[in-house]
Parts: sequence; C-alpha cells; structure tokens
Amino acid sequence: MMRGPLLLAALAIAISPVWGQSDTTLPDEDFSMYDNLSFADAGAKRYCSPKIEGLSPAKLISLGYDYQGGYALSAGQMFAADGTTELASAQDAQVNTTYGMRAGFNIPVISKTHLVWQMGANYWNTNYAYADAPTASSNPLHQTLSEHGIRTAGVNTTVFKPLDSKQFLLFQGSADLSGTYGIGLMPADYLKYSAALIYGRRPTEKKQWGVGLARTYRVGEINYIPVVLYNSTDALNKWGAEVLFPARAHVRRTINPRNMLFAGYELEGQSYRLWRNPTGFDDFDLRDQELEIRRGEARLRMVYEFSLKDFIWLSVQAGYRVNYRYDVDRLVGGTEIYRAFGILRDDPYAQTNGLGNPFYFNVSLNVVSP
Amino acid sequence: MLRKISLWAMSALIAFGSLNFELQESPGDKLLGVWEPSNGRARVKIDRIGNKYYGRIVWLIEPNDPETGLAKTDKNNPDASLKNVPLKGYRMLKDFVYNEDGTWSEGTIYDPLSGSTYNCVIKMKDKNTLDIRGYIGVQALGRTDVWKRLSVQPAKK
Repeated sequence: MMRGPLLLAALAIAISPVWGQSDTTLPDEDFSMYDNLSFADAGAKRYCSPKIEGLSPAKLISLGYDYQGGYALSAGQMFAADGTTELASAQDAQVNTTYGMRAGFNIPVISKTHLVWQMGANYWNTNYAYADAPTASSNPLHQTLSEHGIRTAGVNTTVFKPLDSKQFLLFQGSADLSGTYGIGLMPADYLKYSAALIYGRRPTEKKQWGVGLARTYRVGEINYIPVVLYNSTDALNKWGAEVLFPARAHVRRTINPRNMLFAGYELEGQSYRLWRNPTGFDDFDLRDQELEIRRGEARLRMVYEFSLKDFIWLSVQAGYRVNYRYDVDRLVGGTEIYRAFGILRDDPYAQTNGLGNPFYFNVSLNVVSP
Repeated sequence: MLRKISLWAMSALIAFGSLNFELQESPGDKLLGVWEPSNGRARVKIDRIGNKYYGRIVWLIEPNDPETGLAKTDKNNPDASLKNVPLKGYRMLKDFVYNEDGTWSEGTIYDPLSGSTYNCVIKMKDKNTLDIRGYIGVQALGRTDVWKRLSVQPAKK
C-alpha cells in the first residue's frame, strides 16, 4: 500500500539539492558542447596573469628568524674625510653569531585581470654577538655592531600590467630606512630607493621571461644594472626555474604543489646609515651621519618550502653566506657615490673590511596567497 | 482510504515542491551560465541547486595529464579519496548564496593546481564580467580574478 508514496518521496530525494553537492560528475556526461564557445562580450580581451603554473606561492605574511654561524670580522683602518688622517687602527675580531628577525607583509591593493597592484612592508633586524665584547678602545665598527646591530624597515610596491595575453610590464619599487638606529630614530632623509622596470613575455602558461633595468643596493651601494626575469615549469610540473638575475636564481623541484625544494642563490645588501644617537654612545667615532656600511653578500642555499596546514607554509633555508662587501663609505653632505663598479668613479672607502663566510640558516612561517 | 489519499497528496507535494524550488527564478540567477577565468585554462558552468549556486569545470585547455596521458584527475587534492576524481565535472565553486547587495557569498572556491580551498565572494561587474575573490579568513588576504561570460552559441569560425 505504501509503494506509491515511497516512490514519489524517492523521486523528490533524487532531484533534491543533496545529489547536487557531490564533487563528482555523472558518468559519461558529454562536455563537448563547451569546446567551441566565445566571449558573450565581443570586446572582451584576454590578458596574461602575473603567475605561471607551478610557481612557488607568493607570501602575504612572513615572520622569520635568520642565523649565521661564527666568522672573523677584520675591521680596517678608519680614515677621516680627508682620506689620509687615521681615526682608528685595524682590528680583527671573532663574531660568534649574527642573528635577527625578518618580517614581511604584502597586500594586494588592486587585483584585476588588466592590473595587479600590491603593497608591502618589511622589517629586518641583525644583531652581532662578539666572542669578546668590544671596548671603548676597540675599532669603532666592532663597537657599533656589537652595541646596536643594523636594521632595515621599508615599504615596497609591485605593479603588474599585462599588455595583452602574451606581454606584460612589471614594476617593483621600494623605499628603505637602513642603519644602526632604532625605530624612534629613523630619519626620513636617509631613505634608500630601489626600483626595477621589466618588459616581459609569457609565451605559455608555464613560462615567462623579461628584461629590464634596476636601481639597486643589493651589492651594498647604488647601482644601475640590467635584469633578466625567467620563470618556467616543465611539462610534468616536476622541475622549474625561478630567476630574477642577478638578484636571485633558483632551480625548483616540485615534490607536489605543497612541497617544494629549491637550490640556488640570492644577493642581499643595503647601505646602512650610521646615525649619531644624541642620547648616548657619542664616543663611537664610526657613528657618524656621513658614514654608511655598504653591505653586499651572496647566499648560496637550499630551500625547502611546504604547507604546514592549508595556507600556512614553513620555509627552511640553509647554506653559506658569502661576503661581497662590508665597507664603510663617507657620503659628504649625503651625496651618493655612484662608482658603477669602478668604471665611473674610484673613490676610496673610509674603511675597508673583511668578513669570513659562515654557514647560515633561516626559518620562516608564511601565509601564502590564493 | 482517506489516510491513503493524504499520504499520496503529501508525497506529491514534497516531490513537486522540490521541483518547483529548483525551477523558480531567483534574482541571483543572473550568475547562471558558462564562465572563463582570466587564465583561459578552464571553463566553469554555474548552476543553482536549491537556493545555492555551484560551479563545475566543464572544459580544460589541457584535458589530459601529460604524465599519464589520461584524463586529468584531482591529483593535488589533500583528500586521498578524491585524487582519482575527474577534473572535468569537478565542482570547484560551492555553496554560494545570493545577497540583496548583489553579491554571492558564503561559498568556497577550489584551486585544482594547488589542492587548496579558499573562502570566496562573487561580484558581478556587468552582466558578462565577474570579480571572483578568493581569500583566507578576511577579504584583505586574497586575490581577485576576473571571469568572463561565454556565449552558449558556438563561436563563428
């Protein structure tokens, strides 16, 4: 007696939303009707996207810790502005560890097909732990690094402008305050501006390349250099390259989209103003507003990045920090010295220093972008 | 006999009520159709089921897995039981509810390339353009992709 109502109820269930929430489709469903469609809006254009398939995920928030092992730091003679008067004699010292936190924050402001604009901020802090604490008679570079360390705080912006489905322009700019001072003593006059403009092409979903020009402090002092962008992923999504030469270049091995291994290098550097703190430590000769540490180094490294849970990724890197330059320049009146690797000018440094090349590691927790 | 008739009537009401629910037009139905994400690698057909909107992948520019030569499956899904599910037909937009402000929210978007699912809100810029914003927790931590409506008429060759 109940068969009729039960059949109807079963029918109701069969066409209800419950069925529709499955992730799968019906077997043998014919999708060919979707093969040959055109835009409903005849004027619609396709634009290339900033990413390629298989690229490592962009980091929206990053909080990390950087650690370098022990090395010898040979501080050279310090000269006055006349270039001949010796202010301090050379002195070698052993640095046990160099360590600090690194935080970064990036937010997409505009994320459209025809324009992507992102703003970010970063803060890096580097402390120097000497084997023997420098005294007032030590070379002032040792005194300064031991007492204050160096830090960088800055803002950055990235604009990606696709021209069509194959071509794009990429602009990256940043303004950084770098020096020995604390957050409360960051004079805006000492902002360092870096920028790069790249014209690129994206011939396939798995490859993009570009060429451009950059103003950079990556080797410590101001330079204008050509840059090459190259990102690619192989057909099987196993191997790839992520290159912005000469700033960094990595080979990528994708274990799966949530586990990636990289081998390569990155150039790091900035020019750190030695700010004279009026509230103390005026004895340190090196803490002079005209002096800047020109720090440039290469990091040869292996990096492992993986998803801890969903969008929370851990990045672990280890390698060698190879010193390129850690010299002190005297910028009279704040005027930059553009040497162009010695081609345009050959001004002597106020102090020439040497650093050993230690093992380093860096670990960071990241929130990655969709 | 009266009891039997009542049961029939009630069952019929349930059945046709459900049908009616499916077919009734909603202001949110302007979302229905076939859409193409900005990368042009897939096409997604959005349907309404009940009072919620869902989008299935109906076309892939690269339908076969280059490693196996077989139809692509959801191999990046963190749920091992779903790794063999075909990507064509996969429901990547789920559970969107139409709001009076003209948006569709409370849904999720799934990225088959990474196997990640994000919160998502959909805004219609014009009748042929959608802003699809995938985000993590708060909308500020997200990315917007622009999808274009495709005509159901075959393209002229």
